[in-house]
Amino acid sequence: MAEEVKKQRPAPDPNSAKMRLRKIAADAYSDAVEAKKRGELVGWCSSNFPVEIPETLGLTVCYPENQAAGIAARGGGERMCSEAESEGYSNDICAYARISLAYMKLKSAPEQDMPLPDYVLCANNICNCMIKWYENIAKELNIPMIMIDIPFNPDYEVSEAEIDYIEAQMWDAIHQLEKITGHKWSDEKFRQVQQISGRASKAWLDATATARYVPSPFNGFDLLNHMAVMVTARGKEEAAEAMDKLNSEYEENHLNGTSTFHAEEKYRIMFEGIACWPWLRVTSTGLKGRGINMVTTIYADAFGFIYKDFRDMCRAYAEVPNCMNIEHARDKRVRLCKDNHVEGLLVHTNRSCKLWSGFMPEMSRQIGKECNIPVVSFDGDQADPRNFSEAQYDTRVQGLMEIMDTNKEAK
Amino acid sequence: MTSKEIFAKLHEVAFNPKQQLNQYLADGKKVVLVTYYTPNEIIHSMGLVPMGVWGADIQLNQSKKYFPAFICSIMQSILELGINGTYKGASALVVPSLCDSLKCIGQNWKYAVKDIPFIPMSYPQNRKPDYGKRFTKAGYERVISDLEAITGAHFSDDNLRVSNHIYNEHNAVMREFAEVASEYEVSAQERSDVFKSAWFMLPEEHTTLVKELIERLKEGPKDSRKVRVLVSGILADAPQLLELFEKYGIKVAFDDVCDESRQYKKDVPETIQNPMDGLVEKFCSMDDDTLLYDADKKRVDYIVTEAQKHHAEGVIVLMTKFCDPEEFDYVPIKRACEKAGLHQVNIEVDRQMVNYEQAATQLEAFSELF
Repeated sequence: MAEEVKKQRPAPDPNSAKMRLRKIAADAYSDAVEAKKRGELVGWCSSNFPVEIPETLGLTVCYPENQAAGIAARGGGERMCSEAESEGYSNDICAYARISLAYMKLKSAPEQDMPLPDYVLCANNICNCMIKWYENIAKELNIPMIMIDIPFNPDYEVSEAEIDYIEAQMWDAIHQLEKITGHKWSDEKFRQVQQISGRASKAWLDATATARYVPSPFNGFDLLNHMAVMVTARGKEEAAEAMDKLNSEYEENHLNGTSTFHAEEKYRIMFEGIACWPWLRVTSTGLKGRGINMVTTIYADAFGFIYKDFRDMCRAYAEVPNCMNIEHARDKRVRLCKDNHVEGLLVHTNRSCKLWSGFMPEMSRQIGKECNIPVVSFDGDQADPRNFSEAQYDTRVQGLMEIMDTNKEAK
Repeated sequence: MTSKEIFAKLHEVAFNPKQQLNQYLADGKKVVLVTYYTPNEIIHSMGLVPMGVWGADIQLNQSKKYFPAFICSIMQSILELGINGTYKGASALVVPSLCDSLKCIGQNWKYAVKDIPFIPMSYPQNRKPDYGKRFTKAGYERVISDLEAITGAHFSDDNLRVSNHIYNEHNAVMREFAEVASEYEVSAQERSDVFKSAWFMLPEEHTTLVKELIERLKEGPKDSRKVRVLVSGILADAPQLLELFEKYGIKVAFDDVCDESRQYKKDVPETIQNPMDGLVEKFCSMDDDTLLYDADKKRVDYIVTEAQKHHAEGVIVLMTKFCDPEEFDYVPIKRACEKAGLHQVNIEVDRQMVNYEQAATQLEAFSELF
């Protein structure tokens, strides 16, 4: 029997975009730990809270959603969810929230530590579940909660009344934070942050748009990892530089005929929904093994925060996924599918996310019809491993592949 | 009428909303479907009949094409009833976006029930500052504009002033009923029927009946049951469940139920000259609700205080399955009850519930604690 020879992988280049982005994400946690040790106040911040506010004020914040995803990806999802359930939280509640509430109680997790908060920053443009989750944290830890309510927009465009409402809240939040932390707002610093955030956003949009090349110069699962930096650090210079680097690497890959998708790209799909972090390898391998590259997701569009001034920023935060009506949400995805030559749509019906999944069947039908592509869904969860069946996933992906095959033959 | 006759009439209405809808339509009125915190005063002031939709205990079929299984069955069954034609003849559906499932139903409704237009009502969560009030007003103005376009009805401040007063009077009567029902002999089903029927009748009609009922009840015997509870949840209307309350001698001393007392806590301040500003003030002054931003969790204290005020020694949480706002609030409620020495139990309920054995076991054990 031949001895298995393991391929020697070259040591990763520390200057590569991947390593730079990984470092930025890791530093966010270690910086927060250090800040706490120095006696600085640390906040917990929801993912679509306007990062420009803490960044301009020079505050140190952590992102519980990212932490929960990290804990789940490293195998701690079930343990932490069970911990929250033992306190009385229903297993119907978002698994990120359950992990976070468990962490608040345990104050430590081997998979990913971060300091407990002195205040919480909440924006509900991702979901209203976020409000309840942060209310419970604020109440239990007896800390202030700063809440920017960005209502679900039932119309295609954001109304002036809604922008007025958001803008007033943004200033209110800034003034509350000035009082809590003693830090001062600076218009000049804001303009710098806006410029950096705009640069990072543009680079992100450009990088993700290289999926228009066939084959794609990247594996779409890369985006699920890299987006963490766009969520948390897009106002930081090093993030903008890393995103520029990512874009140039993808362009180079295209010119060199290489890709981070290390297989023959036979099919191109869009993946809808948050990743199944506890099953990331399984969901990735299930596609790659069949030559299916997930070339785009709504995240490609979601973090393109390009705006011209403070008021326009308020509009931008009301136009994030999960905050827009079905027609607007559909059209953004249709554009991604068409621009990136997508041949099928794989929908994650995410048990943790009622808002993301609550009108997805109708929206994905409309996308399928508009783009003339097959749509297949599977049941899963962003962080609770108990809500995913590998066998179902495999069957559904196989089904999608067979329809895409038939469509190719018919062309 | 005797109290039994009034209860029977309200029971009939509570259990036959379709008949009410058809009667209003036959009378030449236009009906607008409403949900959690819709501006019913506005709808009423435009000569339209607001009728509540809270779903029904039915099998879900077509709604499954739109909703995944883990959306609450209230939303699922509202959509099912919309698709199967139960609401046929209604002019519009008004839905506020106060929870994630409420956000979703409107988006699905547009494609699933094309003959009844969806009107969104965007409320602010930051409702106390002036900017929250301005946003509430903008939301109401949008509802008016949509209603005018859809129904041809017209809005006027003068008519709203009248409707505000009618609703305030109804609120006061419903609050008084809750107190009287706490003190006098009223079954859980009868109590539920009074609150439920309010959703399917014009408030002025309902006020007249409930006022008379209150007088009759005060002539009757006081309730002597030992097991007095506060019931909390979104709904508490399943007859099989309410039967269990009677079976185990459980008296509903007060409620924090969304389609019951939560609706009647705040009035429109009629001292505010502009009736629209008054209506805005009503919403913005609302608190102690799972759907309304509450960083201090005052709702939890409210539940404990109301339980104690009504001499209830226990709290029954009727947890609507998949209602995550309520599920988040349960843990602090449980802890606060324990701290206050109140018994508490969490019973999961669902619109598709057919087996009440687990609920029966829980309620029987709970009643034995008193």
